[in-house]
Amino acid sequence: MLFQQISFYVLAVMALGSALGVILFRNAVYSMLSLILNLLSLALFFLTLEALFVATIQVLIYAGAVMVLFLFVVTMLAPNANDDVTGRDRLRWQRSAGFGMGIILAGALIYAAFTGALASDARASGVASLAAQVTANGNTQAFGLALFHGYAFPFEVTGALLVIAVLGAVALGRRN
Amino acid sequence: MPVSAYLTVSALLFAIGAVGVVTRRNPLVMFMSIELMLNAVNLSFIAFAHFLNSVDGWMFVFLVLTVAAAEVVVGLAIIVSIFRTRRTVDVDDLNSLKG
Repeated sequence: MLFQQISFYVLAVMALGSALGVILFRNAVYSMLSLILNLLSLALFFLTLEALFVATIQVLIYAGAVMVLFLFVVTMLAPNANDDVTGRDRLRWQRSAGFGMGIILAGALIYAAFTGALASDARASGVASLAAQVTANGNTQAFGLALFHGYAFPFEVTGALLVIAVLGAVALGRRN
Repeated sequence: MPVSAYLTVSALLFAIGAVGVVTRRNPLVMFMSIELMLNAVNLSFIAFAHFLNSVDGWMFVFLVLTVAAAEVVVGLAIIVSIFRTRRTVDVDDLNSLKG
């Protein structure tokens, strides 16, 4: 229990700090690397919540494939673009207004997290967790059974979505 | 840890992402902030899956991952093609649809 609490606080500090780094670094490449750290800390969060397979695909697909594509485009387009030079003047009040709205949004969401119906359901359901199902079948098998039994149609639509995205990227990236 | 702790972290991450979208003027950083918001929601999905004894949250995270990958691919292609024609990546300079 103590280990769980310590790991929660360490991971929470890591996730929030790297998230602040994403929006506060002037250099887009630093923001990018900070985002990768954030995704990895979220994968560790998923591990502590017994979602082993989701944590794996988070690292492989998100922090691996998608972020490599992202980093490639960032280094290609904006290696040393900092929106400080031209950005500060026209953004002075917008920036503080944005942070104020963000604080209000965070307060509202945290209020909902402590008083909402779904959160109180989750608190009432106790600590039994997914352990029974997962130890019976294994984590990946539980994931696959749920995916292909209850969610087969959304899975197929996902395939169509990926094909459309690839076609769109090819059409946009073609030089004419 | 109670579910509210995970939801609090998720809410803070979501708010940080929203602030990033509003305040930054580099479309790439705005994209990164959108990724932050998506991941914050993923965290709350996984926490609910754990505390409600259901794998449905995992399925939603899987679908969100796929949609985010497709969104990044198309969005980056649009940004690259805008950069090719306009030679800038600042959203304040991009105020007309006509290239």
